[in-house]
Amino acid sequence: MHLSHVPSSPFTGPKAASEAYAILPRMHVQLLRLALGLYSVGLLHSVFTVLRKKQTFFKPAVVATIIGFGCHAASIGLRAYELQTVAPTQPYESLSLFAALAVLAFLVVYRKYKLSSVGILAFPAIFVMTFVANMAAANSPDSVPEVLRSRWLYIHTPLVILGYVAFFIAFSAAVLYLIQERELKAKRVFHNRLPSLEICDDLAYRSLAIGFPLMTLGILSGALWAQQELGVSWISDPKILLAFLTWGIYLVVINYRLIAGWRGKKAAYLAIAGFVGVLVTFSFQSGFHATFHP
Amino acid sequence: MELALIGVSHKTAPVEVRERLAFPSDKIRAALASLLEKTHAAEAMILSTCNRVEIVARGPDAKVVRDFMCEYHHIPADSIAEHLYTYQNAEAIRHLFRVTASLDSMMLGEPQILGQVKEAWRLAAEAGTIGSALSPLLDRAFAVAKRVRSETGISQSAVSISFAAVELARKIFGDLTGKTVMIIGASKMGELAAKHLKRNGVASVLVTNRTFERAVEIAKIFEGAAIPFEHFSDHIDHADIVISSTGAPHFIITKPLAEQIIRSRRNKPVFFIDIAVPRDVDPAVNDLDNVFVYDIDDLQQVIDGNMKERMKEAGRAEEIVDREVRAFYTRMQSRDVAPTIVQLRDTIEKVRREEIERHRRLLRDLPAAQQEAALAALDQVTQSLMNKILHHPISQMKEMAGDPQGADFIETVRKIFNIKSQ
Repeated sequence: MHLSHVPSSPFTGPKAASEAYAILPRMHVQLLRLALGLYSVGLLHSVFTVLRKKQTFFKPAVVATIIGFGCHAASIGLRAYELQTVAPTQPYESLSLFAALAVLAFLVVYRKYKLSSVGILAFPAIFVMTFVANMAAANSPDSVPEVLRSRWLYIHTPLVILGYVAFFIAFSAAVLYLIQERELKAKRVFHNRLPSLEICDDLAYRSLAIGFPLMTLGILSGALWAQQELGVSWISDPKILLAFLTWGIYLVVINYRLIAGWRGKKAAYLAIAGFVGVLVTFSFQSGFHATFHP
Repeated sequence: MELALIGVSHKTAPVEVRERLAFPSDKIRAALASLLEKTHAAEAMILSTCNRVEIVARGPDAKVVRDFMCEYHHIPADSIAEHLYTYQNAEAIRHLFRVTASLDSMMLGEPQILGQVKEAWRLAAEAGTIGSALSPLLDRAFAVAKRVRSETGISQSAVSISFAAVELARKIFGDLTGKTVMIIGASKMGELAAKHLKRNGVASVLVTNRTFERAVEIAKIFEGAAIPFEHFSDHIDHADIVISSTGAPHFIITKPLAEQIIRSRRNKPVFFIDIAVPRDVDPAVNDLDNVFVYDIDDLQQVIDGNMKERMKEAGRAEEIVDREVRAFYTRMQSRDVAPTIVQLRDTIEKVRREEIERHRRLLRDLPAAQQEAALAALDQVTQSLMNKILHHPISQMKEMAGDPQGADFIETVRKIFNIKSQ
């Protein structure tokens, strides 16, 4: 079975791409900038809410974020069309996709749980990710290395990024849990709009339950791909080792939750530790990933 | 429109005075009929609750309404003078808005008063004493109350032990649907807390007490199960919320017991509400993960904080009321201003037309073309003269519409120009 090195994409090829590029020069960069501008309303909401200790223009923030998401999705779609690929091929593109999916996840969680307080964490995170993606977007190359036109990649990257998004939600829920738990234990007179412990715990667990299989499959597909490209040497790649370590933390969380009935504080600490692992792994560029990894 | 509001409340009168002035609800309709007859009021409403007695009337002077109230209750007017407040027009509107929005309540932000005003309004509507002025006024009062409720936190946080317990339980469990509560020991406060929890979705209630019969009694109220006291620790792990209020001199819930409970609950959280003095739950239990212990002082502390929060929110509520009163009063006044302006214009226009007609007769000997030109010039001159002369009075009237003295001003204008009421 030889699945790598599939040069042709499902689309018509480089000609159509260059035409689109000519009509809309760097349009995806402009759209991403626009999205960033709109996300900044959410950032302002968070800053003012924390400073004034009172929810401040949340509704405008949500509306701006929804419109921003539209621009963001268009930017990603356009870029995918330009490069004739369905998976991100640059670190910034991964980050951009990650941010867009985080926005989507936030909106879904907000709708389902009516949790406006998640925004305090989510809006700044979304803004920062989009901001970083934006800085790199301007210098993005216009072609994709052949090695990244692989079906394995089309599976590997989206799976891993979806997993990251799920873990990001679990992380946010865990942080909210710990804050609320501390307030309750300290018997502080609280007028917070934080969600109840049960909702935080439930949200963290569900996101882990969704994120873990995605991550597992993502790592597996990456390993198989690397095996074909590089043989056994991929094992010693620090980034891949970190990914395994992170995966291990989540394995422990899931395990303890299911078997030992861990919940609440301990589970929250582990979810946070896991996400720290995700961040380290994501930002660590080495070996194969330094050359090619999105 | 002349609006008068008189009354007494918990802030101005002791209960001995309030009870003598109260109108029983079955007498209110008859009282309203008699009020309209004796005071010649066009519209009226009586609000009578245990904390206040108030009459709102359109038409008569406040003094006349007060005399009616004293006469009705056979009380000499000067005996209640010091307790009675009177408000007119804008101040009457403000008072009604504040009362309806629960800003004048004994327990700031309590929700019952809105229902009581609605009931008073219903009785008056049935008596046929609500008309074109009171109807929009009360509609607005209800809308203002709703605005205050939703835009400020004045009614948000719990200010009683039992509501504080529910509020805290929600912070832990979110939705209380399907949860189980256990009551240890019989006490009024424990029962009340359980009642509020049940109303908020708690599915089953377990009751235990040293006297088993008493446990059975209480269990019956909540359609729950009674548990003999010596077996309560076998069942306590089913309870998400435990309300303890025994007279025991020692801890009923010790740390080892709590540890055992949390183990058999597989770390599902548990909320102990300890309203006993001396305490039933060892405070060290609060150190365990997934266990939350609130004793009576903790609950009181929550309530005190909530009360402070309500006071703070009341300031914002007053601002809303201020704006609403101004807006309503302006609208009310301009209803009188607008027709006066129209009538003023009509009166002057009539004079102008008459003058032009008179000149048409004087000019009839001129050639047709010259006659037309002269009449056209005359029309133009008088028209612009009229506009110039009326410009300032009309803009002044519009401006005075929002002023408390506006009504008098409008009246003066009507007199000067001899504008008759329609």
